[in-house]
Amino acid sequence: MAAPILEVAHLCKYFDAGRAVSGETKKLKAVEDVSFAISPGETMGLVGESGCGKSTLGRTIVRIHDPTAGRILYKGEDITRRKNKHLLPVRRSMQMIFQDPYASLDPRCTVGDILAEPMAIHRLYTKRERASRVQALLETVGLKPDHIRRYPHEFSGGQRQRISIARTLALDPEFIVCDEPISALDVSIQAQIINLLERIQDERGLSYLFIAHDLGMVRHISHKIGVMYLGHMMEYGQTADVYDNPYHPYTKALLSAVPVPDPKTARAKQRIVLKGEVFTPIDPPACCLFANRCPHVMARCRRTEPPVCHVAGRRVACHLYTPDFLALRRNGENPIFTDPPDWRADIPV
Amino acid sequence: MDLKTLFLPLDVSQKNDEFIAMESKSFAKDVWQRFCRNRRALFGFVLLSCIVLLAVFGAMASPYTYDGQDTAIRNLPPHAQHWFGTDKFGRDIFTRVLYGVRMSLLIGFVSTAVNFLVGLVYGGVAGYCGGYADMLMMRVCDILYAIPAMLYIILIMLIFGSHVGSILIGICLSGWVGVARIVRAQVLSLKEREYALAAYVLGSSRRRIFFKHLLANSMGALLVTVTLMIPQAIFMEAFLSFIGIGISAPMASLGTLAQDAKTYFQVYPTQILFPIGMICLIIFSLSFISKGLEEAFDPRNRR
Ligand SMILES: Nc1ncnc2c1ncn2[C@@H]1O[C@H](COP(=O)(O)OP(=O)(O)OP(=O)(O)O)[C@@H](O)[C@H]1O
Ligand SMILES: [Mg+2]
Repeated sequence: MAAPILEVAHLCKYFDAGRAVSGETKKLKAVEDVSFAISPGETMGLVGESGCGKSTLGRTIVRIHDPTAGRILYKGEDITRRKNKHLLPVRRSMQMIFQDPYASLDPRCTVGDILAEPMAIHRLYTKRERASRVQALLETVGLKPDHIRRYPHEFSGGQRQRISIARTLALDPEFIVCDEPISALDVSIQAQIINLLERIQDERGLSYLFIAHDLGMVRHISHKIGVMYLGHMMEYGQTADVYDNPYHPYTKALLSAVPVPDPKTARAKQRIVLKGEVFTPIDPPACCLFANRCPHVMARCRRTEPPVCHVAGRRVACHLYTPDFLALRRNGENPIFTDPPDWRADIPV
Repeated sequence: MDLKTLFLPLDVSQKNDEFIAMESKSFAKDVWQRFCRNRRALFGFVLLSCIVLLAVFGAMASPYTYDGQDTAIRNLPPHAQHWFGTDKFGRDIFTRVLYGVRMSLLIGFVSTAVNFLVGLVYGGVAGYCGGYADMLMMRVCDILYAIPAMLYIILIMLIFGSHVGSILIGICLSGWVGVARIVRAQVLSLKEREYALAAYVLGSSRRRIFFKHLLANSMGALLVTVTLMIPQAIFMEAFLSFIGIGISAPMASLGTLAQDAKTYFQVYPTQILFPIGMICLIIFSLSFISKGLEEAFDPRNRR
């Protein structure tokens, strides 16, 4: 496979969360030890419940936030600590689409200004070339040429999101972070935007990091998928593999909640309902953060953090998949753990 | 009409879902139209314009000067030659009031302009840098704000003498703090907006984001406070002159006129009525304008 366009290794992003009574600063661990890679032309989906750090991860990659630890390699170059003014060439080819189409366009600028701004910032093209490129961009995203003099408040949510997309395309990027680009839109418009993103990907060979809530949409659009929980990457692998046979108990629970169109399979399917409180991301305990909600929790889950286990081309952060535990299970010895009925089938080999 | 034909599907070519019916208006134009639709605001605006024009050109056209004395016509009531009457030295009060308005407006506008610019830069830098710089800069503001303004204005008047310059210095010394606080708060809240982040990801420098996106979007809130600062400054000057430490005779300001007329208040009440009435008119018109601007900038009032 071609060299990855983006490589993220052990990335961490902590926010200050005030001071404890003892005087130590508390840390909000929004992203903790996340690693993945995206190849050219590939889409990686990122899912997880609200507040698990998906946006923070995306924003750290495009360097809105400075990473606390870890490395970000873009096209083989280390951009983790690069100063903003030296990031300009990278910014040209790495873009971001934001979640809220109502907040991501400056209400005081016309669509023409908004689309020409990226080119003005990078001092590309002459005035006339810019104007014709703006027209071309509008056409690409399916807007009318006479929309150029309109203001954002005159557009619907879906149209605004298309303006956002056009703005990111103005610099011919190679990689776009899409932070829930469709979750503020209604379903029929969601499909339009997804089709547009896919068409652009086909035409230009773009790579996406696609953050979403909607698991069905992620399955449809992404080649790889990462599942996050409280800042940790719980499971990471090829989309088809993960959806067909999720390993991590959290992924199982997430996927069991996806609605199925066929009522027969829907009835056969069992929903895993998670109980228990979510840990807070502020100074989280050093154990598995999913332990208090996990249906398969074991004593060691509450004592130690799970290592990242490489199983069948996938990465899973769970004690059930450590080599020693897998060996135990294959031998049929399993003192602590009681298998649920469907569990036998998916022991990875 | 025949119901059957009414519900026939249209041809695809006639589908027009991207059409926007509302007339395209720039933000400034939109605000202006809403301002003009507000009758009170428009009244304030027209009134202030008249006062400004009168102060600038009226004094020139007047046959009298502000310090021309004529002992033969002392303390006249208003009549055809002297519209507002004359004072104890026989000076034309109408001309003196016009000069006073000029002085008041000068102090109001100049001090507000200075406060606005200083506060804008200071608050903008504090808000945008954040962290320790912000903390330090805001503490400086707090200290300046804590000293009673009257105290150092009086000190400055004593040191530099009582003329326009020292009043301006006095008002401007801490007047910008209010603007700085508002700008800082605006910038702090706007810089996390997604359009500011989007501009950052596109490669905008911080300066560009500040001027192009943040400032333009906080203008509304700023203009409202600024229009309220003008009457404050005017009132401050009038007050200083009235207690006798402001503009000194024979120069005229609305405050000194009121002060002069104070002693004869019971005998010649018209002498004090005109300058005070003028102050009221100016302050009224500016408050109306400010209120109108506030309503015009509020996006909820967009129809
Ligand atoms: N600038 C910030 N300062 C402090 N804490 C932050 C900041 N941004 C995010 N956080 C915290 O980091 C955690 C992760 O937030 P994030 O926005 O990344 O979640 P998310 O997965 O994108 O959620 P959602 O699906 O609702 O968008 C949250 O607990 C949030 O409170
Ligand atoms: Mg988010």
